[in-house]
Amino acid sequence: MKKATLILLILLLASIALGIALGSTSITWGDETARTILFRIRLPRVILAAVVGATLAVAGVTFQTLLRNPLADPFILGVSGGAAAGAAAATAFGLAAHRGVVPAIAFIGACAATLAVFALAQRREHLDPTRLLLSGLVLNAFFSAIILISFSMSSANDVTAALRWMMGTFFGASWNDVVLVAVLLLIALVVLAFIANDLRMLAFGEDDARSRGVDVERVKWIGFGVASIITGAAVAVSGIIGFVGLLVPHLIRLVWRRDFRFLLPLCALGGASLLVLSDLLSRIVIPSTELPIGAFTALLGVPFFLSLLRRSR
Amino acid sequence: MTLALNGVSYSYGEKEALANVTVAFEPNQLIALAGANGSGKSTLLKIAARVHQPSSGMVSYEGRALREWPAKEYARSVGYLPQEAEPAFPMRAIEVVLSGRAPFLSRFAWEGESDIAAAKHALEICDAAHLVDRYLDEMSGGERKRVFLARVLAGTPRVILLDEPLAALDIAHVQQFSRLLREIVDRTRCTVVFASHDLNWAAAYSDRMIVMRDGKVALDSTPAEVMRAEVVGELFGFEARVADGWLVPR
Repeated sequence: MKKATLILLILLLASIALGIALGSTSITWGDETARTILFRIRLPRVILAAVVGATLAVAGVTFQTLLRNPLADPFILGVSGGAAAGAAAATAFGLAAHRGVVPAIAFIGACAATLAVFALAQRREHLDPTRLLLSGLVLNAFFSAIILISFSMSSANDVTAALRWMMGTFFGASWNDVVLVAVLLLIALVVLAFIANDLRMLAFGEDDARSRGVDVERVKWIGFGVASIITGAAVAVSGIIGFVGLLVPHLIRLVWRRDFRFLLPLCALGGASLLVLSDLLSRIVIPSTELPIGAFTALLGVPFFLSLLRRSR
Repeated sequence: MTLALNGVSYSYGEKEALANVTVAFEPNQLIALAGANGSGKSTLLKIAARVHQPSSGMVSYEGRALREWPAKEYARSVGYLPQEAEPAFPMRAIEVVLSGRAPFLSRFAWEGESDIAAAKHALEICDAAHLVDRYLDEMSGGERKRVFLARVLAGTPRVILLDEPLAALDIAHVQQFSRLLREIVDRTRCTVVFASHDLNWAAAYSDRMIVMRDGKVALDSTPAEVMRAEVVGELFGFEARVADGWLVPR
């Protein structure tokens, strides 16, 4: 555990250093403009990518543990979509001017989507991949429709703004965004650490966990609640960035293969590194334009997803 | 050390699975829970394992009502193996068995030396010490069953409840596993209750047979009493004769 944490911590620090050093403007000390770019634009952006990456990976591994399914991810389940639909509707109707409204509505959207997943999962002990994927597919279609309708109805009529919610970006990241997500992530990590010993017992099924003294209902409510709220926060500041919650736990299990207690901190570190590097690439691959980061993570994530699907029961 | 169900009923929605069942599991007994599919065997074990709360009636262990037992403390005394307990993610045998120590861990604790020793000892008892670092999905059905029994034993329970442990095992492993249960009872004087729909194997090594039918205890007696042609004809509609204590079709 110590060794794995150290490796991932070094990876994260290296990613952040690269993310800060590289960009369309080269940073030199002593230059006033360069310093402004560094502290006002690039640094918050890199740190936000790290915090959002950690958040999505933690949400992913929590959903996977709760649903006993390695294919679960906030995006695939439709939870990110729910949050984005809420956030997009709030923005389109001019509520973005009031601070805190957009994230609050994003939380509501995320929780609504989670309730739909929860209701499906309640009916059966082992939510089979087909049902999971189908419900995610239709939820995402529904939420995309809400996003597009919101923007075509609003006076802004701004399709790029809609795309922003659907593809994700860290463009325009602020320290306020960083603080919002970071605080919620820290709270979530503490809460999840409290129930980690119980959560990992769900791997063997709910009956088994109950027989070992786990209060399954309570653990599920807390787990689903925490994962939805942090997903809502991440989406509210950066839009939908898919597959992070799928990729990161999967990669970490490939190397270390351990239970939830072990995966939780490692996924946070791994997710942070992944998004810092992805964001860096999306900025520098084509000079003077930015690729949408959600498209980038989808390119990375889909092959993994298909290979997991092939192997799943 | 007696686990007792007193007038226990349980329903899944409309369907009544257990109807007014009174039965007590005593120490130093290997008890077979026999009966057709859907007769209430699994439900009875789940209620004893605290997976379900009975809709009426009372369960007690050591004379104390189940709801007065703290959940973790009860789990240290009563171990349960469900029919399906495949982990959702790849795991090595040692990790599976170590998770059986969970009721002994405090909130933030990781398994320590004593837990690892208990897990290894449990694997040895189950003749599975060589599987310690193997992954579950690389094992045969018999090996997996032994690892899961070791997981229950790692918690050193006084009452062990096993739901269909012999199902999906080939005949050599059925015998090996049945003998293992016998040895565990003889060595530790604990209680082992196992559900099985195979009458012959249920009877082979057990001290006592409880036959379930339609959610009720139809017969609670010795294997010799149960394994008679007229009894199985009456209880199971199985036309059989007995040869060397073994039921064969007539």
